[in-house]
Amino acid sequence: MTILFSEQTSEESAAQKPLHPWRKKPRKFTISVALAVVVPFLVVLALLLYSNIPGALVMVIVYLPLQLLAAGITAVYNRGVRSIGDSMIVVLAIGATVFSLVILMSVLLSLVVRGIGALSAHFLYQNSVYINPSTPLEYGGIGHAMVGTFLILLIASIIAVPIGIATAVYITDVRGRAVPYVRFFVQAMSGVPSVVAGLFILTIAVSTGAFNQSAFAGGLAYAILMLPTVARTAEEVLKLVPDDLRTGALALGSTRARVVLQVVIPAARTGIITAILLGIARVIGETAPLLLAAGNNDGTVLNPFDQAVSSIPVYIFNNVALPYPDAVTRAWGSALALMILVAVLFTLARVLGRGRVGKY
Amino acid sequence: MSSLDTNETLRDLHSAATSHRGDRVFNRVITGAAFTSLIVLAGIAIFLGLQAIPAFQSQGLAFLTTTAWDINTDPPTAGIWGMLYGSVLLAVIALVIAVPASILLSVFMVFLAPPKIAKILTNLVDLMAAIPSVILGLWAFYILNPPAEEWQQLLNQYLGWIPIFENASGNFLGTPFIAGFVLAIMMIPIVTSVTREVLGRTPPELINAAESLGCSLWTMLRYVALPYGRGGIVGGVMLGLGRALGETIAVFFVLKLVYDTNWYKVIESGGGSVATLIVSRFGEVTGPFELQLLLAAGFFLFLGTLVVNMIANLIVSRTGRLQK
Repeated sequence: MTILFSEQTSEESAAQKPLHPWRKKPRKFTISVALAVVVPFLVVLALLLYSNIPGALVMVIVYLPLQLLAAGITAVYNRGVRSIGDSMIVVLAIGATVFSLVILMSVLLSLVVRGIGALSAHFLYQNSVYINPSTPLEYGGIGHAMVGTFLILLIASIIAVPIGIATAVYITDVRGRAVPYVRFFVQAMSGVPSVVAGLFILTIAVSTGAFNQSAFAGGLAYAILMLPTVARTAEEVLKLVPDDLRTGALALGSTRARVVLQVVIPAARTGIITAILLGIARVIGETAPLLLAAGNNDGTVLNPFDQAVSSIPVYIFNNVALPYPDAVTRAWGSALALMILVAVLFTLARVLGRGRVGKY
Repeated sequence: MSSLDTNETLRDLHSAATSHRGDRVFNRVITGAAFTSLIVLAGIAIFLGLQAIPAFQSQGLAFLTTTAWDINTDPPTAGIWGMLYGSVLLAVIALVIAVPASILLSVFMVFLAPPKIAKILTNLVDLMAAIPSVILGLWAFYILNPPAEEWQQLLNQYLGWIPIFENASGNFLGTPFIAGFVLAIMMIPIVTSVTREVLGRTPPELINAAESLGCSLWTMLRYVALPYGRGGIVGGVMLGLGRALGETIAVFFVLKLVYDTNWYKVIESGGGSVATLIVSRFGEVTGPFELQLLLAAGFFLFLGTLVVNMIANLIVSRTGRLQK
């Protein structure tokens, strides 16, 4: 709580006497702030230990108002009425931060605690052909779903990455007249709900009859969601490539295509990889499009056409609400595996993105 | 050379270079690819719109204004009003929770926390944004549901006289409140990352000037930082809203879908959501007609989110320009 008042600038008291912020804080100040922190904490501790009101509720309806009151009283006591707003905003800001962190930690911890029991070597490579929801955890796994997710991501990347990079090149290098419109449509596309992307691919499949639920259809749906992320990140990265490189290459007599393909994109390659990784991370957990476009399958499917295929998100989806503890543990285990994949992708993207984008 | 000059020089050089045939092809390919997003958007609107026509022919405007889902009766009746309204209700609950939390969180990150902690928090918020919705649904179903049930019971017990806290069924699971809470968790990182950036761009001259005039943190926020970043914050909130309207899977696990309009009873079991309707009916779809109805519902979901997103992007890009 001391951070709270350390950076204060002059209040109304400035008119009466100088504040001397460099001087040691008077003892009265230290004690009152300490009291404002300790008293609400003790009250809540007592309530948590000796009453049966749920903990989260105690925090919201007792601790937060009490802390606000204490901070307000301290503020008035030390600095006058006008500093009430300050003390409130500090308490509330810290409260909001703690709230968000508690939720994040709760999600991550529950994943680890409940999912770790399912994780084992065979869980990662076996498929679920002979597995019922009630089969014990010694058998079966998410191998088929991993293969399916990989296949779908591969197809989505093959489609979305070149188009996404081309869109970025159009904005940064071709610089045609339509740049603002292209940027606008890419942004609009990033708002397409995932379930609509799945429905769209399904409609094409149904109305043309060209393909069924398959890894290919799932990949198409993923590509729709991936494209805007790849395009926007690639645009940011290509912008960082100095224009001197472009003019220099042009002055040496390169054609435009060569400038882009042999100078600009190589100069930004780590950034481009970051864009691809972020695109993959954006879609890897999307469930609704695969539910509609890729379907489900207990076996391992390698043929990307004509056959419904399983994927990690759909596997989780199918196991969540089953009345068998082992099936639920499988859902937690695959969720943990998925979260680790996402975290690895993001960390990789971060580490690469911090690298030498645009330097040559 | 200023950047504007470089820009024009490049464009001139480019147009001079287009006399080369390979470059003309390259130019066309890139331009074609750049319009993929437009083609996809138009494709979604056209394909889903065409599918919506039969649904409209059989149901008329009642498809949008009534609430029913009786496919096996003759003639079948279907309407998505309850779902449309439910989506909006969930989004409003999510906004009420997420907007203050996100703004306060960004205030903490920008103005209060030491830089090191602010950096860690930024990464944690990004991590929060990366949680797949199916995992959030799983977490909400098993971890959030039991305590949320308890909180809602207490709310009903002590504040039940306020209409929005009515609950006649005694069932406190599958309520709009829980679903809205989960949506709020998904919105917080989106809104926070935009708000943090906007607040962080407040010119230090303005902050210093405000402080030397005697502003405290609160008055500085109230009269300088928040008005300065208002456009960006509103845009960020709209972006989060677009996400909340289209969210499917996380809501699927925590909301009991009822074909009725839950007007305001946020802690009463049962509510609606268009996106969730599509997924939950798709699993047991009874025939091509019901599929068409779902596609029509998808069409309106697409339109709604598209409008919200376009407005959001316009606001964000305009404030971005103004601030530069």
